[in-house]
Amino acid sequence: MSNNKNIFWDRMQNLDRRYIYIVVALAIIIPLLIPFNSKTYITEPVENLYKKVDSFTEREDRAILMCFMHDASTMPELFPMEVSILRHCFERNIKVFTICFLPTAAPLIDYAINTAKEVGGFDVQSGVDYCNFGYKPYALFLPILLGMGEDIAEAVETDSEGRKVENLEIMKNLKNYNELNLVIDFSASASVQTWITYARVKFGANIGAGITAVMAAENYPFLQTGQLVGMLGGLKGAAEYEKLVDVFASNNVVFSKEIVKETWIPITDKNIPYQFKTARIGMNAQSVAHIMIIVFIILGNIGYFVSRKSKNKELG
Amino acid sequence: MFGTISNIVAAFLTLCIFSFLYKDNPFYKFAESLLVGVSMGYAIPLVYENAFIPYVYRPIFLQNKFLIIIPTLMGVLYIFRFSKNLSWLSRYPIVFGMAIVGMFVPMSLNARVLVQMRSTMLPLDNINTILIFIGVVTILMYFFFSKEHKGTYGKISNVGIWYMMVGFGASFGYTVMARISLLIGRIQFLLGECLGLIK
Repeated sequence: MSNNKNIFWDRMQNLDRRYIYIVVALAIIIPLLIPFNSKTYITEPVENLYKKVDSFTEREDRAILMCFMHDASTMPELFPMEVSILRHCFERNIKVFTICFLPTAAPLIDYAINTAKEVGGFDVQSGVDYCNFGYKPYALFLPILLGMGEDIAEAVETDSEGRKVENLEIMKNLKNYNELNLVIDFSASASVQTWITYARVKFGANIGAGITAVMAAENYPFLQTGQLVGMLGGLKGAAEYEKLVDVFASNNVVFSKEIVKETWIPITDKNIPYQFKTARIGMNAQSVAHIMIIVFIILGNIGYFVSRKSKNKELG
Repeated sequence: MFGTISNIVAAFLTLCIFSFLYKDNPFYKFAESLLVGVSMGYAIPLVYENAFIPYVYRPIFLQNKFLIIIPTLMGVLYIFRFSKNLSWLSRYPIVFGMAIVGMFVPMSLNARVLVQMRSTMLPLDNINTILIFIGVVTILMYFFFSKEHKGTYGKISNVGIWYMMVGFGASFGYTVMARISLLIGRIQFLLGECLGLIK
């Protein structure tokens, strides 16, 4: 019996990694095909960012800038965040600008705006309610970042459609970071720290971050020191923001902690379009996959200790 | 129609990349090379349209701002990186690029050092500030190599190691989460947008 046990653990130790891939794939596919209503708890960094965006509701003299610093490879994590924030802005009449410094990010901006606009059925107009500055060469990242502290229309002369920014209706009452008071950087790199270093330190702009989970741990010190007003970390952050928009912005309700605690939105609800709950559906699969990984780690460790014990016994 | 074709192509290329999980194969290599080629092919006209035309061609040839010729020539020196004998010329534009560092230092010092230090010097009136204080002190002691890490000093610096291990663990946990998220994204695409199985 003891020998059989050792053979089992030895086999587990030398298990072909492709079996593990299959199990992880199933752990993701099954919850996606058969979604269940897991709860989404709201964390403070997400709540703070939501509240900051929401504080600009219907204000003519306030706007937010969304900087898309990523390509399609990190879309699963960042795209739901971008759609949720755009949706929030469109729901609450918040002026929103978008910009990118990577060529491959340019189509993602259009895709995000069109998804939020078309799926949500918003009657918003480019140049009036929102403005896409479009792709600007990376070499101009710093000049534009610093230039916007003085005059946005001078730093970014034209938008993605080639129109003079200074002539756009959305620019009424907007001059620099005093009005464009919140910059949210979506990235899989440390670009958010560039915004903090220059736009925050020099001009006092509020900076928010929508980042991949890989980058989250690195940015927590900036959150803790208040240099980031809020942060969406990975798919979990996106899922939380999706929920906040569903609970408050889409119902025209002001944020309240009590309502968040009491409200539970089932993701199987057919009234919520799929594009507006992608992250929450993904988090179902994420939770199951994490449980699988934890089980594998425990099994691997048990196998390691059992094998080591039996080897020690053999050696005497 | 276009949507269907693009979904089929994207699904095929996704499966080509996933095939690497079984073993390296020509489908994987094809998809990988295609990604590099398409990205470059896409970027070149976009950069030409958004950088060369508005910041070089238009100012020099249409607005007669001839001073722009100097930075343009400076930028052109980068091409000499490919020449064995003249590669030293490419160092000149790099020098100008490095000047940015001068501006970066004071601001970065503020954001990454001074503000961070200030938030570790808070009154020790709750468990979080106490933990942060212990962590900062013990990690700094661990990185002080002018004294041998043994005895009481060694034990204190060991606490610093534990703090760092917790930090690395949190970082790794987030990395696992990120990788799984990317896989979820692709599977959502295959099952949802391609096969219509997720609603």
